[in-house]
Amino acid sequence: MSGNPLDKRYAVLGAMLIAPTVLIFCAVIIYPLVSALYLSLFTIFTPTLRGNFIGLGNYAYLANSPEFWRSLWNTLLWTVCTLTLQIVFGVAAALMLHQNIVFRSLARSLILFPYFVSTVVAVLVWRWLFNDLYGVMNHLMLMAGLIKMPLDWLGSMPNAMISIILVGAWKYFPFVVIAVLARLQTIPDALYEAAKIDGAGAWSRFVDITLPQLRDVLVVVVLLRAIWDFKEFDLIYLLTGGGPIIATQTLPLMVYKDAFGLNDMGRASAVAVSMMLVMLSFMVLYLKLAGRGERESQR
Amino acid sequence: MKTLAGRIAFNLFAWTVVLVTAFPLIWMILTSVKPQFELFRIPPTFWPEQITFEHYTRLIYETPFLKYMRNSLILGFTTTIVVVVVATLGAHSLVRFRYPGRERLAQMVLFTYLLPSVVLILPLYLMMVWLGIANTIFSLVIAYTTFALPYALWLLRSFMQGIPDDLEAAALVDGATRMEAFVDVILPQALPGIISTSLFTFILAWNEYLYALVLVNTDEARPLTTGVMSMLVSAFNIEWSLLMAASVMMSLPLIIIFAFLQKYLTRGFGAGGVKG
Repeated sequence: MSGNPLDKRYAVLGAMLIAPTVLIFCAVIIYPLVSALYLSLFTIFTPTLRGNFIGLGNYAYLANSPEFWRSLWNTLLWTVCTLTLQIVFGVAAALMLHQNIVFRSLARSLILFPYFVSTVVAVLVWRWLFNDLYGVMNHLMLMAGLIKMPLDWLGSMPNAMISIILVGAWKYFPFVVIAVLARLQTIPDALYEAAKIDGAGAWSRFVDITLPQLRDVLVVVVLLRAIWDFKEFDLIYLLTGGGPIIATQTLPLMVYKDAFGLNDMGRASAVAVSMMLVMLSFMVLYLKLAGRGERESQR
Repeated sequence: MKTLAGRIAFNLFAWTVVLVTAFPLIWMILTSVKPQFELFRIPPTFWPEQITFEHYTRLIYETPFLKYMRNSLILGFTTTIVVVVVATLGAHSLVRFRYPGRERLAQMVLFTYLLPSVVLILPLYLMMVWLGIANTIFSLVIAYTTFALPYALWLLRSFMQGIPDDLEAAALVDGATRMEAFVDVILPQALPGIISTSLFTFILAWNEYLYALVLVNTDEARPLTTGVMSMLVSAFNIEWSLLMAASVMMSLPLIIIFAFLQKYLTRGFGAGGVKG
């Protein structure tokens, strides 16, 4: 392979083709990433962008800050709850849409739509649904006799946390649906036929055939969604703004608030870096799995 | 589901679930065509008693909505073109060429695809201020490449891995150079993948909120996402029917893509790293 002048020329051509990508990556991803680590060692006043080196001072401050720990807790709570709902509803909806129902492709489009619609649109619609005086949610629940007084969906606890978890589940469960649906279509029918002959009921067919077949895709989906839910900003910021007070404030919202509300860019960077450290374990796990899948598919 | 009755019951159940899921979006459309006073009816009416498009005309003539829309279109198309061109060349290189560091590079692409934008946003903000291009659409195009480029590269790489090596080899035997083989053989084969990637990139750029919130502070460069939200915040009393009309208008490109190009969306999904 080496020594052949053609191979060498090809390698140069390959490098030239990837060069724009590498340059852009260095300028807008690698440099900012390193810069974020560096910024977190300073205290920087945002409007003037002046500041002093304080070493690990920001991190020491965060370790003793109840607000940081509360935000971390909120992030974990939101991620676990909304992710669980996404998986449960996603798998159920995928199984449902896998069956022969009338106008199936229209049904699929309607289910997928929330995932592709802008978060801004989703939030506006839900804020209108949650409206305390004229919102449909309160009206329906009053009519059904579930509540006696209209609820304050976004302005009080624990309602605000429950609301963002529900809207998050609604917005992102279609991702699970698409991934699972694609996998379901590749499970051979013969497996089900054989199980039927052996006298397996619908439930045991689901547990013994469908679930094991879905396992790999579910692991990947859970990891990806966990990473994306953990760093979610738009949906929570626009629904509650982190309120009431800091009851629904997650780490990404704390970064934004510290940088542009409290004007301390150094501390905001420290929060962002800490957040990334927590996420890193998930990211490494996903990279490992993806790498394994690659090698298998190349075999 | 052997019996007819069982089949009908299942269909009814399935469609109830679908309609409940889609209800917020149906409600958005219905609200946008109701006259303002009908919104404050208790109990609320489901079908509008009277259909009106006044909110749409008001949106277009009395608010900066069209300006935001123009910005969003420029931003979406520019980002898509830049990202897809760079990513197509890059993905081709990652799939068909051998050079040291190639595998590491592919891994890095996947890693950056998972990075949270709040980590990058503060240095990027400082960078834009320093370059003197804060508050421009151009600064947003640069910022959007941070998430769109890794995504497009990864997607295109999966698509291109599906193109058999023999095709390019045959063209080379026939005397084509590698670049000619790329243009004449690989590109036509990769076209469906390129369309999928372009659609996803456009949707990502169209829907983005955080960078637009931080980097742009004037109506001249503001895209729809932050623009419409500023209409909500600045209003003295919130006009929900106007906001719902804005939401419908904002979803129009998506509705068009869903109606005509949906197969490209589902195909892109299969390739996008959720292979399992």
